Amino acid sequence: MSIAFLACLAAVFVLAAIGTPIGYAMLLGGVVYLAAVGSDLSLAAEQLIQSVYDGYILLAVPLFIVAANIMNAGAISEKLLNFCVAIVGRFRAGLGHVNIVSSLIFAGMSGSAVADAAGIGKIIIGMMTKDGRYPRGYAAALTAASATIGPIIPPSIPMVMYALISGQSIGYLFLAGIVPGFLMALMLMIMNHIRATKIGVVEDTPVPLRELPRLTGVAFPALLMPVILLGGIYGGATTPTEAAAIAAFYALLLTAFFYRSLSVREFYRQLVVSARQAAAVGIVIGCALIFNYIVASERIPNQLQALLAGMDMSPLWFLLAITLLVLLLGCLLDATTIILVVLPLFIPTCAALGIDLIHFGVVAVVASMIGLITPPYGMLLFVINAVTGIRLRDIIINVVPFLFALLVALLILILVPDISLWLPRQFGYPG
Amino acid sequence: QDRIQLRMSTVATESDQRTVALEEAFGPGVAEFASYEPHYNGTLFRQATELDAIARGNLEMAITSAQELAEFFPEFSVFTAGYLHRDAAHQVAVFNDPLMDPFKQKVEDELGVKLLTVMYLGRRHVNLRTEEEVQTPEDLAGITLRMPGTEAWLFLGSALGANPVPMAFGEVYTGLQTGAIDGQDNPLPTVRDSRFYEVTKQIVLTSHLVDLNYLAISKATWDAMTPEQQEATQAAADAAAEVARNRQLALEDELADFFRAEGLSVYEPDVEAFRTHVQAAYLASEFANDWPEGIVDAVNAAGN
Amino acid sequence: MLHRLALWARAGSDFVAASMLAAIFATFLVQVAARYVFNYPLGWTVEVCLTLWLWLVLFGSSACLSDRDHVKFDVLYLSVGTRTRRIMAGLSALAVMIGIASQLPAAWDYVDFYKIRRSATLRIPLNQIYSIYLLFCGILIVRYGWGLVQVLRNRHDDPAVDPFAVTPPTVAKPNISENRSED
Ligand code: NA
Ligand code: NA
Repeated sequence: MSIAFLACLAAVFVLAAIGTPIGYAMLLGGVVYLAAVGSDLSLAAEQLIQSVYDGYILLAVPLFIVAANIMNAGAISEKLLNFCVAIVGRFRAGLGHVNIVSSLIFAGMSGSAVADAAGIGKIIIGMMTKDGRYPRGYAAALTAASATIGPIIPPSIPMVMYALISGQSIGYLFLAGIVPGFLMALMLMIMNHIRATKIGVVEDTPVPLRELPRLTGVAFPALLMPVILLGGIYGGATTPTEAAAIAAFYALLLTAFFYRSLSVREFYRQLVVSARQAAAVGIVIGCALIFNYIVASERIPNQLQALLAGMDMSPLWFLLAITLLVLLLGCLLDATTIILVVLPLFIPTCAALGIDLIHFGVVAVVASMIGLITPPYGMLLFVINAVTGIRLRDIIINVVPFLFALLVALLILILVPDISLWLPRQFGYPG
Repeated sequence: QDRIQLRMSTVATESDQRTVALEEAFGPGVAEFASYEPHYNGTLFRQATELDAIARGNLEMAITSAQELAEFFPEFSVFTAGYLHRDAAHQVAVFNDPLMDPFKQKVEDELGVKLLTVMYLGRRHVNLRTEEEVQTPEDLAGITLRMPGTEAWLFLGSALGANPVPMAFGEVYTGLQTGAIDGQDNPLPTVRDSRFYEVTKQIVLTSHLVDLNYLAISKATWDAMTPEQQEATQAAADAAAEVARNRQLALEDELADFFRAEGLSVYEPDVEAFRTHVQAAYLASEFANDWPEGIVDAVNAAGN
Repeated sequence: MLHRLALWARAGSDFVAASMLAAIFATFLVQVAARYVFNYPLGWTVEVCLTLWLWLVLFGSSACLSDRDHVKFDVLYLSVGTRTRRIMAGLSALAVMIGIASQLPAAWDYVDFYKIRRSATLRIPLNQIYSIYLLFCGILIVRYGWGLVQVLRNRHDDPAVDPFAVTPPTVAKPNISENRSED
């Protein structure tokens, strides 16, 4: 590791710490590195431009963002929540389960955890805390924890980014996340049952069963979204990027014509919001990829590989160590940065150790999503705090048991690769 | 400590025939005065930007193709045409023939890139998931054939008589499996390595393109070498290309039987019908406008 | 007056960015329809989308996003006092200005280099496509320069005088700093 590289890291961390946007901090860090090694300063621009301009699969990102925003603006979230309440609200700790199941369903429609939390967070927390049924911190913490499932179930922006750096098929990565997503939901439901029973939440009146067909009918077209998306990809009709466009189009048709809840004015507003979010995500992705050049120049993967080969680590220990590293970094770094900058360092070693790169992708993405609820830097904690005004401290204290449940799920995923790989294999994944 | 740094950037993997041969034969061949530093999987520079990087002085070596060179110099499209090169030996003869001199000179003068040697990629064949036998270009009508996403490749697909569809290489397996595409074209070793044979039913040995790469080096780096170093670099490059070529040829020879054992039908179509159809398409195309006068005849005569 | 101008500039740049995104969306739908409904694959759609995506990212992030819309690690920034914040905001603005300006000549040269090469299908000179990066740099230098002036006048925390901090119609990334006052 050269002095130039250390100077670059120092620049990025100092700039980020004093509040410079992370994308620009990385761009400037890149310039510092190039200046320190005496390279052409335009290489930072070169890497930024080429990685964005070459990113056909990245085009799914703005399209998933459009789809999520249209659904959030239309009344889709509300219809889905009513449906969930009718189905699982009748059980013990029912509203907590409603929270988890609605996250699961929402996960099948949107590609980002933040979109999920912002989309249903406010409504579900409102329902859970009405008349003091659940403590506010509890409701907020469960919402944050269950939103981490969002990008594990397809569609998924983080999986698209992982596909970009690992060269793995987006189609198989999407399939590989489905069972793990359900496993995470199951763990959270068990923990919700234990905790809610312990603190003695007030039970909800069950929705009469005769209401069920109507509520299902209303929610049905929205529930079709994941089917259309995955069906498009695996039925051979579309590439994953095209499927993202179709998902957005379907959401538009649904909200504009079926639910009649989206005006032209509102549509424009959502386009503006989506364009800003797409630009914010895009600039972080583009600037993070400058580090591919720096890391390659410094030959860091080769050095790491040599170092790890000397330690004679077994694949399982290696996977556990990387997971721990990602979890620790998750307390401090943005998930995008972890996936785009940190994971590429280890992918060559993974491949050399014979670790399946689809399995590794699922484990790494789950670990980086868990990072979204670990303080001090936990984007989902901030989002929930921002949309509900519930104190951060309350959320953090209450999130600990759910964090534990997710870590158990993660450990199971590491120990049993078949949970991730079974479904892709059914669709012909050769690994 | 004034060893010459030779950074090589490629999108190929480290287990690729070409890159293995370069590590085995090129690296040691220049080890006395230079350090050969390969970067695989496009980690240093992205696909099709390596020549730009050499031209701007940010990279020393790359594996490039006639398709990429044609982006700068349209006349290179002649070497992307179907049924131009006959076989691996013909490729070498063409590269070393005086007919190549103006091509090489232009790349050196205008891009600062020197083409060191020619590398054999293999014969591209049509690999289909459909069952109907293909004998002539007419039999490919309506078949959606995946091609790499540039104009030159797509043209080759339509010249073969198929309906060319651009698709990223990483999505081809799923595309074949689900039927998003009916087929793809690649040399046999690629069909095996990417397991396309699992999701296809036949390989039509069209040999429509004897595919090549060029090993490229920065002209500035080359000029800074002593004549002895230049000689050693040239010899090492030729040796590496030779090693890779022989391995690829041997592999191609044994793979037809492997695919038959996997239950695919592997057969030669009416190659003459394809050759006539494809050559006519190229000569009538806009590409041919950029070709130097008499180049096709010169290529045909090379090595005879 | 300046404030009003800034509002117009903001609405205008939002309109441009939203149009780019809408165009990406529409082009994809055309691509899918052409290929699967009319069985007539189009070659140009991918390039149009990628060009728009590059422009959206570089134009949108520099012109449409206010400093606080960006993905940031502002835990430290938000935990310190006003005086320290002022120093941090000033240093950050200065660093962006100097950093971006120092690589601008090299980036100019890079973009200019591409006059010899055209895009894959539409054959547009690549220097035109990549020139958005120069605009990106220009906007960043001006905006962070303006931000620095506000810091020096000790008015950077007042949204009313920062034309780029005008609250967007719906907050893209929830505005963390405003809602965390109770902590
Ligand atoms: Na999802
Ligand atoms: Na975190």
